[in-house]
Amino acid sequence: MNYQQMAVPPRSAHLWRYTPWPRIHPTKPEELPQADSIDFTFDSFAAEPFQRNGQSADIARVFLEESGGSCHRLIIDGRGETVHIHARASGHIAVGHLDLIVKGEATILLHLSGEAGWCGIHITGQVKANSHLGFGFINELDPNTKMLRCEDWGVDRDASLESATLSVGGFNCKSDLRANLNGTGASIRQSVTAHGQGARHDDHHIEIHHLHGHTNSDLVTNAACSGSSHYVATGLLTIAEGANGSDAGQVFRNLLLSEKARAEAIPELEVLADDVSAAHGAASAPIDASQLHYLMSRGLSPEESESMIVNGFLIDAFSNLQNGELTEQMRTRLTVHLECELKR
Amino acid sequence: MLRVENLHVSVEGTSIIKGLDLKIHRGEIHVIMGRNGAGKSTLANVVMGHPAYEITSGSIFFQGRPLEELAVFERARAGMFLSFQYPAVIPGVQVGTFLKKSVASVRDEPPKGRVFRKELNAAMAQLEMDKSFLSRYVNDGFSGGEKKRLEILQMLLLKPTLALLDETDSGLDIDALRIVAKGINQIAPEAGCLIITHYQRLLDHVKPHFVHAMIDGVIVKTGGPELALELEDRGYDWLDAAA
Repeated sequence: MNYQQMAVPPRSAHLWRYTPWPRIHPTKPEELPQADSIDFTFDSFAAEPFQRNGQSADIARVFLEESGGSCHRLIIDGRGETVHIHARASGHIAVGHLDLIVKGEATILLHLSGEAGWCGIHITGQVKANSHLGFGFINELDPNTKMLRCEDWGVDRDASLESATLSVGGFNCKSDLRANLNGTGASIRQSVTAHGQGARHDDHHIEIHHLHGHTNSDLVTNAACSGSSHYVATGLLTIAEGANGSDAGQVFRNLLLSEKARAEAIPELEVLADDVSAAHGAASAPIDASQLHYLMSRGLSPEESESMIVNGFLIDAFSNLQNGELTEQMRTRLTVHLECELKR
Repeated sequence: MLRVENLHVSVEGTSIIKGLDLKIHRGEIHVIMGRNGAGKSTLANVVMGHPAYEITSGSIFFQGRPLEELAVFERARAGMFLSFQYPAVIPGVQVGTFLKKSVASVRDEPPKGRVFRKELNAAMAQLEMDKSFLSRYVNDGFSGGEKKRLEILQMLLLKPTLALLDETDSGLDIDALRIVAKGINQIAPEAGCLIITHYQRLLDHVKPHFVHAMIDGVIVKTGGPELALELEDRGYDWLDAAA
């Protein structure tokens, strides 16, 4: 596939409805600028270079592949280690690719920061059979950075992936996160916490595909939006024909903190198997008056009460995770972010 | 301490309290009993400043000060406490964090960490609460009994001068009831207490000075502990004529 021969996807497509491709492209959609490399540092385990396979037909992935940037593969045969990867995006346009192959048990925290004008990151990963990975993505980019993030995960038989996102950086962000449950007993738990401030735009498209029976997925997104920020969460959950005994749930919750803040939450289900459990829910609302009253009746001022409710709401997205280390790390980063916000 | 004078309260245009008078002094335990919808919880909520309730006429004074001058959090800081019938769930906020911030807000001088922990441990031991409560989210997934215990724990730590307890005994088993009553008795000598209840059984453990029967938004009869027994025995129909 060649990027410049690809048509710009229409806004009618589920994936591009709220953040169309021209809006997230770094320059003009017909251009393919050559990117600088995102600078990755690994605190343990040596990464190796890798060749991308060029098999994707998705415009964002093709664009990232053809625009260059850095490529690293990390193979972990883990015994419960926690690996921190720091990714720094600098310059006008920065792109990076990371391929993760995990056997055994590990927790990986990817800290993305930097002041690049545009940042593109593509993460591919394979959680091998009977292995367990906790993966945390922490977006702490400069508030003026535009970001495109793509992830493609495969989870093998009896393996589990716990994926957590903390999205607090960048000005205009689009994330397209996809996971395939490739074998019986595979599971994914996914949590997304997003904090919208000012005019920040943040769009998460999350696809989970149950390709085999007796697979489980659980997705929670919590977004708090203030100012004139806009948060979008679109989900696509598919359960393939014959994937009986699968259990899937998706919940999208948005907290609207100002009159101009907007949020969209659109879960979609496509179930082709007979004997499955699949549920989804979405809610967007201002702060609950009874919560506010309860905290104020305990002596907290209206501002303190609102802050406590928002912090709790954001932290609560990580409640569905079972990896204690991942949960703690994500909570800590969120708390640091919120404390910094309070001091501004 | 609390003085309610000819109070009339509406909710969304519907009149609920229709001329209520009540005085509570320090060290007094008052009990209000009445049918569902009589206005008992409305009274507790309006005293605590719930925004859904509108005072259409009459006045409430706390320690000589008109309550309309005080916002909800200022009432709490002035020493008022409401144990909610249905406490709000606050996901993501750990009980320990919430208690510490709440105590720091209400007391003139926030206790030092070690002092607070000691106090907290003692109160939790008294209420037979496990320390794992502290890392749970406020009322999230709590049973009815656990919610009521957390309310009483807050009351013990906040040390109010006026405690309003809205059906704190509802849904409690005998052991939990005894524990909750112990908490009420602990603060009672130094505070005024207003207990709203449907049942006499809490009064086996807490000895009230006054029992009030409330019918259709007004107090129609006031007596001692024996009135609670009579209400439980005879119901409220015999008081309708007085309403």
